[in-house]
Amino acid sequence: MAGTAPGLKAVRGSIRRWIDGHRPWSTLLLYGALLVLAVILPLLPSWFALPTWFERIVSGSALGRVALFALFALGLNVVVGFAGLLDLGYVAFWAIGAYAAAIGTGAARFSLDYRSGRAVGVAAPGWHMWMWLLLAGAIFIAVIAGVLLGSPTLRLRGDYLAIVTLGFGEIVRLTANNLDTVTGGPQGITSIPHPAIHVASVNIVWGVLTDVKYYWLLLFFVVLWAVAISALNRSRIGRAWVAIREDEVAAAAMGVPVIRMKLAAFAIGACTAGVAGVIYAEQVNFINPPTFDILQSILILSMVVIGGMGSIPGAILGASVVVLLPELFREFDEYRFLVFGVALVVVMAFRPQGLWPSKRRALELKGGLAEEMLRGKEETVGSESA
Amino acid sequence: MRCANGLIDQFWAQTRNGITLGAIYAMIAIGYTMVYGVLQLINFAHSEVFMVATVVSLYAFRDWYGVTEPLTGGTLLLVLLITLIPAMIASGLTAVAIERLAYRPLRRRRAPRLSFLISAIGASLSIQYLFNLMDGNHSLLFIPLPNVLGAAPQEIPDVVSSKPLFSIFGTPWNGQQLLVIAVAVLMMIILDLLVRRTKLGRGIRAVAQDPETASLMGVSIDRIIVVTFLIGGAMAGAAGVLYSVRFHFTQWNIGFLPGIKAFTAAVLGGIGNIRGAMLGGLLLGMVEAYGVACTAPQWADVISFGVLVAVLMFRPTGILGERGVA
Repeated sequence: MAGTAPGLKAVRGSIRRWIDGHRPWSTLLLYGALLVLAVILPLLPSWFALPTWFERIVSGSALGRVALFALFALGLNVVVGFAGLLDLGYVAFWAIGAYAAAIGTGAARFSLDYRSGRAVGVAAPGWHMWMWLLLAGAIFIAVIAGVLLGSPTLRLRGDYLAIVTLGFGEIVRLTANNLDTVTGGPQGITSIPHPAIHVASVNIVWGVLTDVKYYWLLLFFVVLWAVAISALNRSRIGRAWVAIREDEVAAAAMGVPVIRMKLAAFAIGACTAGVAGVIYAEQVNFINPPTFDILQSILILSMVVIGGMGSIPGAILGASVVVLLPELFREFDEYRFLVFGVALVVVMAFRPQGLWPSKRRALELKGGLAEEMLRGKEETVGSESA
Repeated sequence: MRCANGLIDQFWAQTRNGITLGAIYAMIAIGYTMVYGVLQLINFAHSEVFMVATVVSLYAFRDWYGVTEPLTGGTLLLVLLITLIPAMIASGLTAVAIERLAYRPLRRRRAPRLSFLISAIGASLSIQYLFNLMDGNHSLLFIPLPNVLGAAPQEIPDVVSSKPLFSIFGTPWNGQQLLVIAVAVLMMIILDLLVRRTKLGRGIRAVAQDPETASLMGVSIDRIIVVTFLIGGAMAGAAGVLYSVRFHFTQWNIGFLPGIKAFTAAVLGGIGNIRGAMLGGLLLGMVEAYGVACTAPQWADVISFGVLVAVLMFRPTGILGERGVA
């Protein structure tokens, strides 16, 4: 932040002072305004004449992807940002959720029989309710998978955990690829039904991939999750995570149940990916193993890191940046993995707290926490001396 | 039943495959283990160091020497030697560059461990995609990228004949397999001597054991770290050449699987322990080969990952135990 013009700095300072003086109303106002904006975003092109680049990023498909990945980033943020555990196989839980949906809806070859007809809510009465029950089922399955993977491995050192999760992610993908009787193998599973709601006079049917209603559905979950996770982060569990992150031995000595708290973070991360996975499967209505490769895990990780580890708005911002940049610059698409790879290195070297940092995490990530705390907060946040 | 039959039928053939594969894993594993010894960190970008060497081999065999049919005798030795040297240099320098760009800034700041892992993942991803994009049709910041590799897999010509030379227990061995084992053994002996008998090796061991005391005794930690990356990188470079001789192709993401398997090997033998990495590599290669005999080839990777998870869960210190580089 060395290069900021003095005028801009003064403006920013006065805004910050106003916000600080009016908490929590100012924060609530800010998030409320952002939420309203997020909801009406896809409607803007029908109300105003907008430049084409803007129309492109507020299209149903682009926003749907943003919301989908925001949900993933929120989940991974609990694992990486809050608990400080590097999970490189996060995509596994996405795959588990998606396959659970595909198999549960009877789209998989072997489960076709128990469902009459493919059209949602038409062939079998009450069938559409099943889709929402599946969501709960997928959460359950993903959490079980998370606990099964987590309970033996969370005792390991951080870097071992990273590689075990990486291995787990690959095992899930390869198994989906090889176990063709259940998962359809490399061909994947097709014609997974779209979700629908028919309650009393309410009739909502989600359509094809680009349907903007998926965005709203996902946005609903993003908001729900953001609120729930931030409450969790301020609770005893959240404080336990901070303690574990900073010094695991000391935390254990103070009576923090280290393994159980790590497992909680892992399970929350897993269930988030499970939910997103179900909606993903029902949205794209076709899944196959190559979708769930290691790159997706790293992409989601880069969203969390770029946005700011441990920061909930940061995770959402990170997802928006990582998804929308290739959408804005079409030529950029091929370069995105290169750019986001470099971004990971650069962010870690120069701005480890990310774009929208959480205050306490920023202090930790800059390293040498204790010394800098002694020297005073202003100095550490402002100066970038290395 | 199928498993037992497969094992009996293919026992010697799979033993041969396992040793060959294991020798390559072992050489890559040395890089992981050495870096771990001095930094207590897993170098996630090590697989890209290996990839660079396969690309050098591609150019050496296909373009510099224009190999069209398998070579023999003196020509073969000469070509291999003057492929190994640039490949090892390129890999070593890649490893040093990774240390400079992805590790050193964080080391200076005493950043938390998590940051190192993320930075290394970033380095790995960027190197992979840099090679992916270098197909002559892309440019970076308006500078056109040269045509080096691109997205498609590239075939590497056969340098060593795949005709069987002799057989043991009815299982034929060919020159490629022999060469892999011979070069790997030679390299590992040289490395072992280097680490155990030279002043440089003593410096590496000292830093691995206790960096603070080592620096008080006049060992330059930064220099040792650079040298460690260089040596580990060079070993991965040699492994890359051997891999090219044996498997005849390269691709931008070719490093991923050998990389993670070599890491498994390093943990299996006891991370930080060089002889452990050699043993672990060999063992993992065998387990994978027998596993394939027992199931089917498409489960090979699942078996390796399963071994990884099992080792980390039940014996995270490995077979020979964790140590400073020794």
